[in-house]
Amino acid sequence: MCEQALGVARRVAPLLHITFAALVALACAVAEPAAAAPTAQAILSASDAIRNPDKPFGLTVTLVEYRDGKQTDTNTLAVYSKADPNSGQFRSLIRFVAPARDANKLMLKSGNDLWFFDPASKASIRLSPQQRLLGQAANGDVVTVNLARDYQAQLVAEEDTQDGERQSRRCYKLALAEVSPDVTYHHIEMWIAVADNRPVKARFYSESDRLLKTAYYRRYQAQLGIERPTEMVIIDGLNPQWVTVMRYSDFAWRDISEQWLQRDYLPRFRPE
Amino acid sequence: MRALFLIALLITAPARAADDDAAALGLADKTVTQAEQARDWHMFSEAAWSVSTLRTAGAAQQLERLSFGVAYDKAFAPGWRAIFSDRLDTRWQQEPSSQDNINTLQDAYVSWQVQPDRIGDLGRINTRYGVAYGYNPTDYFRTSAVRSTVSSDPASQRENRLGSVMARGQILWADGSLTALYSPRLTGHRNTSAFSPDFGATNGSERWLLAASQRISHQLAPQLLVLGAAGEPLQFGVNLTALLNDATVANLELSAGRSASLLTRALSLPADTALRSRLASGITYTTSSKLSLTLEYEYNGTALDRDGWDALGRGSLVAYGRYRGYAADVQDPPTQHRVFLRAFWQDAWFNHFDLTANVFVDAVDRSRQCWVEARYHWTQIDVALQWQHNDGALRSQYGSLPERRIWQALARYFF
Repeated sequence: MCEQALGVARRVAPLLHITFAALVALACAVAEPAAAAPTAQAILSASDAIRNPDKPFGLTVTLVEYRDGKQTDTNTLAVYSKADPNSGQFRSLIRFVAPARDANKLMLKSGNDLWFFDPASKASIRLSPQQRLLGQAANGDVVTVNLARDYQAQLVAEEDTQDGERQSRRCYKLALAEVSPDVTYHHIEMWIAVADNRPVKARFYSESDRLLKTAYYRRYQAQLGIERPTEMVIIDGLNPQWVTVMRYSDFAWRDISEQWLQRDYLPRFRPE
Repeated sequence: MRALFLIALLITAPARAADDDAAALGLADKTVTQAEQARDWHMFSEAAWSVSTLRTAGAAQQLERLSFGVAYDKAFAPGWRAIFSDRLDTRWQQEPSSQDNINTLQDAYVSWQVQPDRIGDLGRINTRYGVAYGYNPTDYFRTSAVRSTVSSDPASQRENRLGSVMARGQILWADGSLTALYSPRLTGHRNTSAFSPDFGATNGSERWLLAASQRISHQLAPQLLVLGAAGEPLQFGVNLTALLNDATVANLELSAGRSASLLTRALSLPADTALRSRLASGITYTTSSKLSLTLEYEYNGTALDRDGWDALGRGSLVAYGRYRGYAADVQDPPTQHRVFLRAFWQDAWFNHFDLTANVFVDAVDRSRQCWVEARYHWTQIDVALQWQHNDGALRSQYGSLPERRIWQALARYFF
């Protein structure tokens, strides 16, 4: 419970604060290694803070899908995201930009509350999480999600692993177990760089321990104040020949009104 | 032997996973992306060819259609947007040879976001309410809005229709909103000419509507509606959706109020005003194999019950025709009870190939309509084959339709 509380505090803190806290933790670790070693939950929170900006933001996501080594789909989405002040989880407004067939279709994702709006038929359709999992949008789940909020982390090992750039990197290997029943993935294995808490790799599992996805976080660039991953490579667990490359661009802070994060605003959402 | 194979499989699994990961990262290295920019306009063109088997002595009828649609959405000043969408359907029919054009002006309005939580709209707006799939009793502005039917798929009829001229305002708050709109009477005359905006169809009477939404929990998000129309009692509507579990969504759509029956309105008989309701309620279940199944029950309390429907069928053909025509125009089922089943299978059998099936069953006269579509899509082109079968006794809801069977092939190009 204390780890959870620490995780929440770390997550909502401004990034500078987190960086400062990490430096302090590092300094303490040098002085008193046993007492000040970061907890698994704190490592996870610090990793969340690298993936997720701490203020409302927008970005463009380009998804390229491969099957059996051949490019089969390309989609572009404009995404606005904002953390819920109570739950800490991200709510997202998503507008499909390309291909032309799907252009201007919209999606609202707020936890398991999912709505899809088609401007042609003006229909707002509520989706179940299972429906969400059908499309590429499901991959968005592994982008802006506060893992420290929904999972209890346990430090399994400290080991060298190959990162997305094929470099050997010293990582904490964490085992994440769900604490919230609404989460998409029952448990997760996550590798987080010891040096800077960067997420390196994750494996997402179902309740029956079936591997659903493997994700590599890579192409770190300075975005919205700190170095963040600008690409995720997602490998389907059932069919490893199904690969999705997600690239992020056009990072920007955005004013996202709390009132916009509901079904009735969806038809009106128009990203800048 | 089998045990040895399994052991070998287990031993080599990490190596294979590493190979898979390396291959995936290799693909990512080679990926070239070009960030697409959002466009203000979108267009499509669709060519269709259909052949119908008519009930009259098995005669066949061929039809070619070319459709062109455009949608434009431009932010022209801070907080201001101009929205326009229009569709033109041109049909060529053989025996007797004829050609006709039908233009449908769907949207033409300006929108002003005064503040993040206050928005006003003015112009012709295709506004739609309702959460059900096959029948939307709270979609109050559907009446007379369809000028050109290109498919019996309910989704198509919601898409290809006229908007109503109105002024609309919306106030938003966290987890809720209130919308008020006023739609004036412009003219009582319908105009069926090809390029008419046909304001008589959508603005033949004065109407107003209030819609309030409030999310109660993550599972429950009700919407309440009140419709007022000149010379008509108020109608009250409810839209409710609930997430039952990870794979199932339930919905309920209800409209109730004092109103005249469909028959008296269709035949201009003395009004038999009474409290009547209309309802559509169903569940959608999605399997892990990308198959979504919807089962919906639909009730129209203004329509004829079994005895009334039987009596109308036995009576004057003129009265029957007027009743059916009126029900189709206001998009209400002509009988009280109907069941709708929908199956949508995304990436059925292979990637980019979708199958959709709709089945309407009239629970009063047991007639049925089946519609099946197989669609394959590339980046900018869709091709589809549709099959429709109308089955039932003479003067039943679907058995009386002139076409017994329709095949339609189409190709759509997205610009």
